[in-house]
Amino acid sequence: MDPGTENALAAALDRMWNQFLPQMHERVQVLEAAAQAFAAGPLSLNQQQEAQASAHKLAGTLGTFGLTRGTVLARELELIYSQQNEPEDDLAERLASTAAELRRLIDSRR
Amino acid sequence: MSHRILIIDDEDDIREVAALSLETVANWQVYTANSGSQGLARAIEHQPDAILLDVMMPGMDGPSTFRELRKNPATAHIPVLLLTAKVQSSDQRRFADLGVEAILFKPFDPLTLSTQISDVLGWS
Repeated sequence: MDPGTENALAAALDRMWNQFLPQMHERVQVLEAAAQAFAAGPLSLNQQQEAQASAHKLAGTLGTFGLTRGTVLARELELIYSQQNEPEDDLAERLASTAAELRRLIDSRR
Repeated sequence: MSHRILIIDDEDDIREVAALSLETVANWQVYTANSGSQGLARAIEHQPDAILLDVMMPGMDGPSTFRELRKNPATAHIPVLLLTAKVQSSDQRRFADLGVEAILFKPFDPLTLSTQISDVLGWS
């Protein structure tokens, strides 16, 4: 591929990233809220499914924008939220820290 | 050679990045649809050379859309590639059993998406 095409694609992807950044933030916000809710008690089925869907969408999107680590983290959360989990401190902490790392990764891409 | 491809995906970020990639890198003509039902209509209208079809969509999901495409004589001949973020092998076997041309995975590399599609469809 000629460098001109590659540069044009990279520039267009950067513009799209900025366009869709609010959407990425919304998805992370769902994950942060789910982690917070889980720390207080079991999630409702609706909360669990919403968190799973948000994680699934982030897993599919972040790597496309070069954030491979983001896809790995989002897949971890998707797997966790695909099951009914009993509240426990370690898992609650992991959900919160993974969501926080996702937010940092997203905010670090310019 | 320029090809015409229809992307059916309810997620606008994925849909637009895929379209950008195929237009910029391969110079293909791209049509888009944000649901299975809209995709069926666009496929009949535009008769694309291939369809890139998301699996998880509200309403008519990817497998249901694929079955409708196959049932309709106007679209039954169009090769379909599934696009999914599902990585579990049980899901992959279920999708492969549908009879699609190939399963491509999200996240995809925008630089090489057109090559992946071309390789599968013998367009290289």
